[in-house]
Amino acid sequence: MSATSKSNVTAPAESEGKTMYGLIAEYETPADLIKAAQQVRDAGFKWWDCCTPFPVHGLDKAMGIRTTILPVLVFFAGMTGTMVAFCLQTFTNATDFSLWAMVWVTGYPFLISGKPLMSLPAFIPVMFELTILFSALSTFSLMFGFNGLPRLYHPLFRSKRFRRVTDDRFFIVIEARDPRFFQGRTKAFLESLNPLSVEVVED
Amino acid sequence: MSHVNVTADLSERNVELGSTGSLASHACLVVGLICLAVAFLFPVLGIGDTTWGAFWRNWLQTWIFVLQIPLGAFFFVFVQHLTRAGWSVAVRRPAEVIASNLNWIWIGFLPIAALFFFGGSYYLFPWSDMSELAAHAPEEAHLVEGKTAYLNTPFFLIRAVIYFVVWAVLANYFLRTSLRQGHEHGDGPTRSMQKVAAPAAILFGLTTTFAAFDWIMSLSPAWFSTMFGVYFFCGCATCGFAALILTCIMLQRNGHMVKVITNEHYQDMGKLLFAFGMVFWAYIGFSQYMLIWYANIPEETGWFLARQMGDWGWFSAWLLFGHFCIPFLFLISKHPKRNWRTLAFAAMWMMFFGWFDVYWLVMPTIPHDLATFDTYDAAAEAYAHVGTGLLNPINWFLLAGMLGIITWITISRLRSHPLICKSDPWIDESLNFENM
Repeated sequence: MSATSKSNVTAPAESEGKTMYGLIAEYETPADLIKAAQQVRDAGFKWWDCCTPFPVHGLDKAMGIRTTILPVLVFFAGMTGTMVAFCLQTFTNATDFSLWAMVWVTGYPFLISGKPLMSLPAFIPVMFELTILFSALSTFSLMFGFNGLPRLYHPLFRSKRFRRVTDDRFFIVIEARDPRFFQGRTKAFLESLNPLSVEVVED
Repeated sequence: MSHVNVTADLSERNVELGSTGSLASHACLVVGLICLAVAFLFPVLGIGDTTWGAFWRNWLQTWIFVLQIPLGAFFFVFVQHLTRAGWSVAVRRPAEVIASNLNWIWIGFLPIAALFFFGGSYYLFPWSDMSELAAHAPEEAHLVEGKTAYLNTPFFLIRAVIYFVVWAVLANYFLRTSLRQGHEHGDGPTRSMQKVAAPAAILFGLTTTFAAFDWIMSLSPAWFSTMFGVYFFCGCATCGFAALILTCIMLQRNGHMVKVITNEHYQDMGKLLFAFGMVFWAYIGFSQYMLIWYANIPEETGWFLARQMGDWGWFSAWLLFGHFCIPFLFLISKHPKRNWRTLAFAAMWMMFFGWFDVYWLVMPTIPHDLATFDTYDAAAEAYAHVGTGLLNPINWFLLAGMLGIITWITISRLRSHPLICKSDPWIDESLNFENM
């Protein structure tokens, strides 16, 4: 989702000091959810989401979610790992190369079974491992970061109805900070998408 | 089960080959036979000083490449039953048909087997004539002496018969049982295939490993590598998956399996090609190389030294880049896997390097005097003139010949069965399959 929000334009509906988080619409089957999600997408909402008990195939397309940039970042993180491992081993085996100007260390050449100090075959296992390590750690941390995790509390937890999302119900959530969100109009719009129910969720 | 319903056209016109490709398949047969005949002219007329020994080495190399195609497809088939995969049902029949080429593939081995009866096997398999080996290379003969309980002509031929029988019986079983799937038989055939898949995997692993030991590793009988069977398996996966991808694309280009095989299936087949043909191949190839490089034992390093001398050095570098580095970068993203043009290019590229890999395995010979040199550089200098013979037209005639014949049989067999496992219980899941 886009990080730049124009949500300030629309003042969140406030009542008795409580801020409105958004509206949820409940569906019974994934097929109903997908049909509704396509219409929410076409209506131009930006701050909205679908919540389901299990991954629903085709939902990404129905929601119009763009491809994630994560794989590209992971690729470069992996390449960084490869180069770090290569530089590390080259430097630690170097005799005539020292980082003296920057740090007070020089290489520690260590001859093993008559192999040349700079032998690529011996370097490759470490290069491979660091590629994997950097890729795995960057996948993990970037995925968490992009999703705003870890997050211990979410306004949707307030809704009793929403608890069935871990079992047999499918939900569309439109957040109040969406520039196209107007409580009455959006509620009427969601009700036109044949949900089982529409509910207001407060922050 | 998915919830997006793709309307798949399972009409007869779409999922039966009919007369499509009839002309092409017969053209393949004619071209294949002509090319094989021309290849035979080389040793018969002595063109380019081709000896029968060199010819049979070429023959063995090409035949092993062609053998890898049905073996890889067979691996694809049983692994789907082993894992109870749903996505692959739409592309399983072409794989079953390619795998059933294991029925007749032994014919290509007959001339090699005949060499053991009519003399001439020594040039390929030096262990088959120990007295001659002892005369030429006493030290090597001493090493091979200890292996004669395994490396002897009768046992070698018996093993070959076992491999061919196991492969033919299993490949046939999976094709026939898959054809019997349907309402009248209940889920019996499906369950039966799932049960057989486990022992089939074990038998496949053992037979391909020992076949690789017998037909490729024993060409240099003093050399040994326990990883060699896995390396050969990677070659099978490369060629088998590439052939399956190309078959599916050819079927679709000719107006069959339209909307039955989708980009989702191509992406998954591309993943398999990427994983087994490039990454796992490189992993195993490097593991084999590094252990030998590190231990630095003469009878082990000679095999790699022979592949670094003269033109073979460039050949090995090409193998590394062509089989791994370049296709790895090309196919790492999902987009080239989902586009039939780029995937077809990658599959053809991998097929070629599958052949290239077998050439690298089979064609170089380790000179008997290699151990007498003091240094690596001295040996490399003495054999700096060694050529690879890659551009020898005999390679291309044999390749076109054998590929033409396997293409002809595969197309004919595709014509006699439906192109899809229509009654498989997971057919709907496969037709509606989506990666994300």
